[in-house]
Amino acid sequence: MGVAVVGTVVAVAVFGGWAAPYRPTELIGQPLQSPSGTHVLGTNGVGQDLASQLVSGARVSLTVAALAGGGTVIIGALVGMLAGWLGGFVDAAAMRVVDFVLAIPRLPLLIVLGAYAGPSIGVISAAIALTFWPSSARVVRSQVLSLRRRSHVKAAMGFGAETAYVLRRHLLPEVGLILVAGLVSSAGRAVMLEAGLAFLGLGDPSRASWGQIMRDSLEFSGVFYTTAWVWWLIPPLAAITVLLLGITFLGVGLEQRINPRLGRHIVGGKS
Amino acid sequence: MAIVTMVFLLPRAMPGDPLSALEDPDAGYFITDPEVRQRVLSYYGLDGPLHEQYLHYVGSLATGDLGWSVARNTPVAGLIAGHLPWTLLLVGLALGLSASVSYGAGIVAAWNRGRLPDRVVLVALTGLRGVPEYALAALLLITLAVLVPLFPLFGAYTPFAEYESLWSQVSDIAFHLALPLLALTLSLVGTKFLLVRNTAISALGEDYMQLARAKGLPLRRQQFHHVGRNALLPFLTVMALQVGTAVGGSIFVESVFAYPGMGVLILDAVEARDYPVLEAVFLALAVTVLVANFLIELVYRRLDPRVGAQ
Repeated sequence: MGVAVVGTVVAVAVFGGWAAPYRPTELIGQPLQSPSGTHVLGTNGVGQDLASQLVSGARVSLTVAALAGGGTVIIGALVGMLAGWLGGFVDAAAMRVVDFVLAIPRLPLLIVLGAYAGPSIGVISAAIALTFWPSSARVVRSQVLSLRRRSHVKAAMGFGAETAYVLRRHLLPEVGLILVAGLVSSAGRAVMLEAGLAFLGLGDPSRASWGQIMRDSLEFSGVFYTTAWVWWLIPPLAAITVLLLGITFLGVGLEQRINPRLGRHIVGGKS
Repeated sequence: MAIVTMVFLLPRAMPGDPLSALEDPDAGYFITDPEVRQRVLSYYGLDGPLHEQYLHYVGSLATGDLGWSVARNTPVAGLIAGHLPWTLLLVGLALGLSASVSYGAGIVAAWNRGRLPDRVVLVALTGLRGVPEYALAALLLITLAVLVPLFPLFGAYTPFAEYESLWSQVSDIAFHLALPLLALTLSLVGTKFLLVRNTAISALGEDYMQLARAKGLPLRRQQFHHVGRNALLPFLTVMALQVGTAVGGSIFVESVFAYPGMGVLILDAVEARDYPVLEAVFLALAVTVLVANFLIELVYRRLDPRVGAQ
């Protein structure tokens, strides 16, 4: 089910231009038009086509998911593998940094970072990756630590295999599965954070993202005194919720496949 | 200390300085007079070398001086004193409420695992974990404040209200708090519920549970004394991690309901590029979270003597 939802959003982002022929920033009609044949979802407070904005928002969300989600996992994997493999001082130092970043409130940090660096999709993705890598570093590290002690890895080392070979041949495949699951969850978090930042007014104002549309609608004074919020606020809200639910269930499905014991717990009968 | 250094270095590592924001003619507060500029620079200690600036910053922090808001022209400490209590109220209650709900529900669900109610709650809360706080908040706003106008749309109290008694003031505040609190609590329940449920399930198979059952202990005692105890330590660990999440989530929730806490303060500061406020707010939130973590750590040590023994 998760796959279907995420696939649909990707399809909308790629082929959506066909259904929504306007540029998202173009002023194409009267403000606050109800949905009609020409404007499938009506127009917003300044007369921009909302269907086109929604499609643009899908692109922003997926770009950030790829950039920030990928960045988080790559930094986390590098730090986690190095710390777990080398141990000693490197490990201790890396874990202190991880503890520190996990303990401070990360969203305010992200906001401060975003405020100083300025809004653009690249900057926002980088800021998300820089604040959220520690959790994936910790997961990767614990996996590497447990793998190190296992007999097949020890045996390989005992036979004089080179470190690079052991890392590639024995560690990467097993850590890889965790990374895929990690990628899904950090992509989801990145989507949520980007929309959230845009919602708070820290997004890239030149692009219509879902968070930006929601912000515009809530900032439009008196939006609740008309019926405009039905086609202005609800669609981006529904879109982001559905996409995140899709990603969540995709992640849960993946976790169960990677760690079958977990699946048994969740389904498990009475013992 | 590390946070203080980070807050100090972050703005200086980024392009531009606080005054270039003030010089931007679009900003509305810009300074053109070079003499005024120099005075402001030396007031903020920005004209000296980096280490002097750092000493100056740490020194004034130590005396309790958080700086001066550029945009509002008031001391930052006063702004924070006005906003922090609302956030503490919101976050504290949401953490407590979500903790008790998820703890109880997690143990009961583990006890009845696999049955229909457990499955429904499990799917619902797994899904809820994926829904962002602002979406929850906006949905609550639409359903319970717009469609069915049960609760106020925004704010923390009725403006200009004159209260007849303390009670009417408390109920007014509680009334305004209800929706933001509900949104934040719901967003925090999922993760803890899943954790309690999983640890409780793995405790169910242990020998001492067989013994407890054989002794014929009352059901509640089995559930909460024996199973619950096992779930308690990981639960506290997650609680500690969630303090930061909750503070972050409160920013979204406050923004939707225009609740006058730290979130709204930080957003206004961003909009006005009011960096002294931004830094102080971040510092205050970080200190709050670290203190909360420290308190949870203390409880943790009491409950698990092994931690203290090391």
